[in-house]
Parts: sequence; C-alpha cells; structure tokens
Amino acid sequence: MSSSNTIIKLDDVSFAYGHEAQNALDHVSLTIEKGEFVGVIGPSGAGKSTLAAVMSGAIPHHYTGQLFGTTLVDDRDTCEITLTDISRVVGSVLQDIDAQMVAPIVEDEMLFGLENFGIPHDQIEERISQTLTTVGISDLRHREIATLSGGQKQKVAIAAIIAMAPNVLVLDEPTAALDPASSTLVFDTLRQINREHGITVVVIEQKVALLSKYCSRVLVMADGKLAFDGEPHQVFAHASELRQMGVDSPRVARIANSLAEVGLLPSDQAPCLNVSEAHQLISSLLADATSKDAPADVPETSPHIPAVPRGVNQEPVVELTDVTFAYPHGGASVSNLNMCVYPGELVGIIGQNGAGKTTLTKLLNGLLHPASGTVRMAGMNTADVPTSAIAAKCATLFQNPDRQLCRDTVLDEVAFGLELHGVGTDEARQRARVAAERFGLPLDESPFSLSRGQRQMVALASVVVLDPQVVLLDEPTSGLDYRECMTVMETVSEMAERGCAVIMVCHDMEVVSDFAQRLVVMADGRILERGDANRIFDDDALMRAAYVEPPQVVALSKELARDVSPRFAGISQVSDLVDLVKEMLKHD
Amino acid sequence: MTNVIDYVPGDSLLHRLNPVTKLALAAAIILATFLGDTYVLLIALLVLTFILGIYAKSTAGLVSLVKLMVPLSLIMLVLQTAFIRTGAPIFAWITTDGLITGTKAALRLLGVALPLILMLTITQLGDLANACVEVLHVPYRYAFTFTTALRFVPVFSQEMNAIMEAQTARGVEYDTKNPLKKIQLMLPLCVPLLVSSVGKTDATALAAEQRGFYLRTRASSYKRYPIKGMDIAILIASITLIVLGFLF
Repeated sequence: MSSSNTIIKLDDVSFAYGHEAQNALDHVSLTIEKGEFVGVIGPSGAGKSTLAAVMSGAIPHHYTGQLFGTTLVDDRDTCEITLTDISRVVGSVLQDIDAQMVAPIVEDEMLFGLENFGIPHDQIEERISQTLTTVGISDLRHREIATLSGGQKQKVAIAAIIAMAPNVLVLDEPTAALDPASSTLVFDTLRQINREHGITVVVIEQKVALLSKYCSRVLVMADGKLAFDGEPHQVFAHASELRQMGVDSPRVARIANSLAEVGLLPSDQAPCLNVSEAHQLISSLLADATSKDAPADVPETSPHIPAVPRGVNQEPVVELTDVTFAYPHGGASVSNLNMCVYPGELVGIIGQNGAGKTTLTKLLNGLLHPASGTVRMAGMNTADVPTSAIAAKCATLFQNPDRQLCRDTVLDEVAFGLELHGVGTDEARQRARVAAERFGLPLDESPFSLSRGQRQMVALASVVVLDPQVVLLDEPTSGLDYRECMTVMETVSEMAERGCAVIMVCHDMEVVSDFAQRLVVMADGRILERGDANRIFDDDALMRAAYVEPPQVVALSKELARDVSPRFAGISQVSDLVDLVKEMLKHD
Repeated sequence: MTNVIDYVPGDSLLHRLNPVTKLALAAAIILATFLGDTYVLLIALLVLTFILGIYAKSTAGLVSLVKLMVPLSLIMLVLQTAFIRTGAPIFAWITTDGLITGTKAALRLLGVALPLILMLTITQLGDLANACVEVLHVPYRYAFTFTTALRFVPVFSQEMNAIMEAQTARGVEYDTKNPLKKIQLMLPLCVPLLVSSVGKTDATALAAEQRGFYLRTRASSYKRYPIKGMDIAILIASITLIVLGFLF
C-alpha cells in the first residue's frame, strides 16, 4: 500500500497503442509525491506523452491499446474509476490548447469545468476571480480567446484547469509554441501554484534550462523506459549519456562535466545548472591562477564557424531596401527593413514573438509583397515575379512540417518540389531517392504515418534536394528533440558551406550561438541591430531591448571576464571555455 | 479577424434579449420572407433586418455578407428568367413572369441569409448554447456540437491558409489567375487538412470529458437565461411578422 503522501503511483506499467507490437511505455514504475514539481524530458517517440496520458487517465479511458500493470491515482486504480473521476484529481493541459478551449470568451472557458463539476453557484464567482489572480490574468477575464497571444492563451488553459482545484496538474509541452520570455512566465506561474497552493505539477518539456531551473525532480524517458529519475543536478551529471539518447543538457552543466572529465573537478562533483553556479565554480577553481595572468590571447572561434566569413566580396543574394509592410487587419507589421545576405552565410533573426520575424520571412519568399521598398531575392524583385518562380531559388522550411506535406509516399513528397520546378520525373525521383536515403527515411511509406521528427526530416529532405540559392528556416527546431535538431542544423550548415545563403528565425539562443555567424535583432517591426553574433550577444542593452536572453556560455564568459580574467571575453562555446580554464590552471 | 460571424460586442436592447428570443426573431423574419409574396413585404423585411443591424451597430458583417450574396442572387435571377418563359417578352429571353419570379427569388435569398447572420453576430455562442439548453430543453450534447462546429470554422480556415502558404512557398502555383486550375491544385490539400482536423476533434473530445462534460445537466449553467417582458414583446412581434407573411 502506498504511503499517504503519494498521489500517483505507476507499478510496472506497459502500454502499446492499438495492436502495435512495440510498447510505447515499457515496464515503467514510479511514484509522484504530493507537492512535487516534476519535469519529464526525452527524445521524440520516447513515450513522454503516453506517460502523461496514463497519469491523466486518458489511457485506458480514451486511447485504445494494450495496457499492463496498475496505475493508482489517489490510491484508486485508474481502470476501475471513470475518466471524469480521475480528472477531479488530475487536471491535464493538452499539447494543442486550441483543441482544449471550448468557449470564445475567457470567462466562459473558466466556467465550463466549474459548471460541469457542479460547484455551488454561490462559490463560482470567488473561484474564478481567485484563480485568475493566481495565474495573473485578471485583466483578461472578458477578452476573446482568439485575440490573445500564445503565452496568454496558455495561461488561460492552465487557469481553466486550476479553477477545478485538482491535486495534480499534468502539462504536455506547454511552451512548445512560445518565445523564451513567455515560456519563463508560464513556468513562473506553475511554480507559484505549486508553492502557494500545493498543487503537484508534472510537466513534459524540451527546454532543459527551464527544467533545471524550476523542477525539483527530473524524469528522463528513452524508448518507453524511465532512464533517469532524480534531482536536476544528479540527472544532468550524466550529460554524455543524455546526449547519446538525444537529450540536451544546460551548457553550463556541460562545462562542469567537461572539467570533471579532464580531472580538474572531482568526478562526484554535482554539475552547475545556471550561470551563477558556474561562475562560482570556475572563479573558485581559478582563485589562485588569476594573480599571474598570462597575456590575453585572441579567443578561438566556434568550430562550426569558418575562420573567415564567406562571401563578403560577392554580390549579396538577398537585399532588402527600406522595406515596409502592414497587414490590413493588424498584426506584426514591419517598417524600414534594410539588410543584405551574402552567399554562404548563415544569418540568425532573433527577437520576441510579434517582433515581425515571420513577416520578414514571408516578405523574403514572396508570400507578402512590400508596401514600399524593394526585396531582391536571387536577382529577382519579389514584387515582379510570381511566388512560384521565387520558390525555385529560395526554399522554405516551416515550423510545422504537416502543412508542407501533401503526397502519398515519402519519395513522391521529396521529388514533388523538383517536379514543380520543371525537373523531369525520372531525374527528380533519382535525386529525391538520394536525398531521402541520406536522412534514412522509408521511401514508400506515407509521410503522415511517420513521427513528428521524421516528418520534419521529410520536409528537410525536400528542401535539400532542390539545391536552392537561399534557405529560409522558420523555427526549424521547435518540436524536435536534441538529435533531430542537430541533424537539421548540421545539414543547413553544410548547405551554407557549399555557397547557399541560410536565413533562420529561431528562439533557441544556444542553437543560434552555435551556428549563426551574423545576427539580425528585431523588435516592434524594426531591425534594432545587425552584426557579428558574439558582438550582438555581448550587448546587454540591446538584449534587454529585444527581450532576448543571451546564451548561457556567453553570459558566463562575460561575468568571468569582468570578475576573474579578461581572457574570458568573447567566448561562446563550451569547448573553448573549458580549454581556457585548463590552460590557465596549467600556467600555475 | 475578418469572419462574417464574429461577435460584435454591444449593449443595445437587441444584445440584451434572451438568445432564444433573438433566434425566434430571426426565424420569424426568415419564415415571413418565405411566406410573403409581395415586393413591399420582401423589401420591408430586408429593410427591417438592416435597421436592426444599424441599431445593434453590427452592419460590417451584414455588408460583407451582402457583397458575397449579391452575385449569387444575380445568378439566381438569371436562372429563373431562363426557366420561366411565360408572360409578355421584354427583351432577349426575358419575360415579365420570369423577371418577377427571378427578382423575388433573389430578394428571398438575401432575406433568408441576413437575419441569421445578424443574430449570430450579436449573440455569444456560449450564451446561445446555454439558453437553448435551458429554455428549449435542447440536449447539451447537440448544443456543444453546434458551437464547437462554428468555433472550428475560423480555426480550419486559418489552417487552410497556412497550408496554402506553405505550398505556395514550395512553388505550387496557387497564385494562378485560373480558378479551375486553383481548385485542381487545392484538392490534394484536403488530406493534410483532414488529418489535422481529425486529430483536433479527438483532442477536443478528450479535453471536454476531462472537464466533466458528461456530468453536465440543464441546471449546470452559472448564467441564467430567463424570458423577460421585453422578450415576450419581441416574441409577439415575431408571430405578427409570420402572420404578415401569410397575408401579403
């Protein structure tokens, strides 16, 4: 019998969808205690969503399949009580919150659950106003849900569930569609309801920095099994194993782990999870070394970035001159955009949601035409030629691959773009075969039967096969696990090396700092600054103005340069920082 | 947002009526439009609809709908004149009878579509569903299905736009001027749209059940929708409209 403090208990639970032979969840046993803040991470297809469905009762009550083992929610077997009764204890927030919403107005959305569960009508008003205050959205009460931003919608979805006063809240990737600033706000909200209202939180999340900052416990799933389970410091001490599974670790944890590997730190030392912990660790390590400081070397640049920027002597392949655009019904308008991109460059566009980044990409690929100013793409003025002609030179990889896919087999899908641009069927299929095999894709299967990550690879293969002059990436890494993310980024870097210009909109600053040479910072529809990635991340005032948090390594080396040694200035890669620390210790 | 049936907030008498009364009024105007057979009545009903629209400050939706319906009405008019060949000829194939039947059919088409849209733009969907459950004893399941269907219309049209944009960026010629070719190109996209909508509907069903959907009864709604004096007055007016339709 479980102790009175256990709220969810899984005992040797396995589950396979439908009649599939492979278990989506494979002999998982775990207990969730009251008041915990548990993060679940793992590569795609590892069974994270299935685990959430088991905890929330959607398995066995909604999804059909073969279930083994027992799941106890508040000491009752989920197979023996109804889904409605389970949801009195476990409230769940779905991945697709548009599908979860039942009402057009925030207040009605809040009412739905309360009315259904028969909360006495004289208590309803208090419940609603209290919940809205807790989540911090009292001002949204009478707003239409369709007019809210992504972050606000996510909070409404959370509030609607919290209002029903569950003991546990299970969330499936609540920040997948949000920018870093809104993601942090959502997690602040979760921490508040966890600490002040004692609600247990179980959250599936890909962003390791958030998990390590907010969670009291991290579960790592791989191949349907529970691979690691423990306090974040313990779990992220296994960074290299995690990396093999396809799970990222905070960059500062990698620094600590690398230092431990080369013997500069005791191997049982817990890794640091944030910049201030890392700062403390390295400054205490170097406390003696700083007195006899060696002359500053020029810091080495990232291995991903070529020493000499490519293409600066060539003609720009993309050129925007005084571009202004506004949507007729409101939306992210842009004004006075000026930028050039040269062949072989990888340019990152960063900024908050609503800053106009997606509008900029649509202006580039001709989906939108500027109201004033000109966009020249591969020698064409986008206002003069049809979008389909631009598409032959400029390929776009969208955030959601499902909107791009439309053919019956993977091979047809990858060949489709070539055929559209007038390549003969036989040649197109030959080239498509090579591209698809490179990513290990099954040629004859329907793209829709593949996993989310593999569908993105199909979309990527159909971009690569075109051999375009320019590639546009709109949030190419969202919804992908670490391994898939690296495949995408390494592929486009290779394309850049062969002379293709790559322009990417991306929220993940770690990815941006690893791969982009130049950055364009946008806010409120304007370009605030353009230039070398390291210089931009170094500019605190600029980062604040754009609501962007610089990558951990940049923030850390900046603090170390200020407090420990100027030699840390400008370092943006884990390996460079570790090498420098090693070198400085050797000088002693 | 540019949807025809988006809610237009307001505090007019029309907004404050019981949703069921609004539904009855719209139904009465539509019924009278079908029953009536004189130009005076048909035009008067259209004018009444527009006056109500202006009063509720919700003409934008009506105007955009009229823009959509006028070409349809004209096609209706031409078809009717082609089929009905009795009466004195006016010019070409058009006869007096044909013209009269045709214009009335065109007016009816407008008169049927507009009141319903007007009613939807001044009623919150949730209120309409709850009031139908409370006053008309409609089972909640049907009310929920209806409101969910309406709510999904803009969601799916956004999805369709996003799919078309993605395909255009790949080089599919949706920017072609030939409408037949465009439709031919759009057909294969039904598959991705269907796939995403089945997924969404399934998720909606799960989410609703997890929020106690099956426990809901007629008394669950927090907001109450009583029939007040004004509602009764409007209901009587609605019956009068139907009677007028019979007489004229």
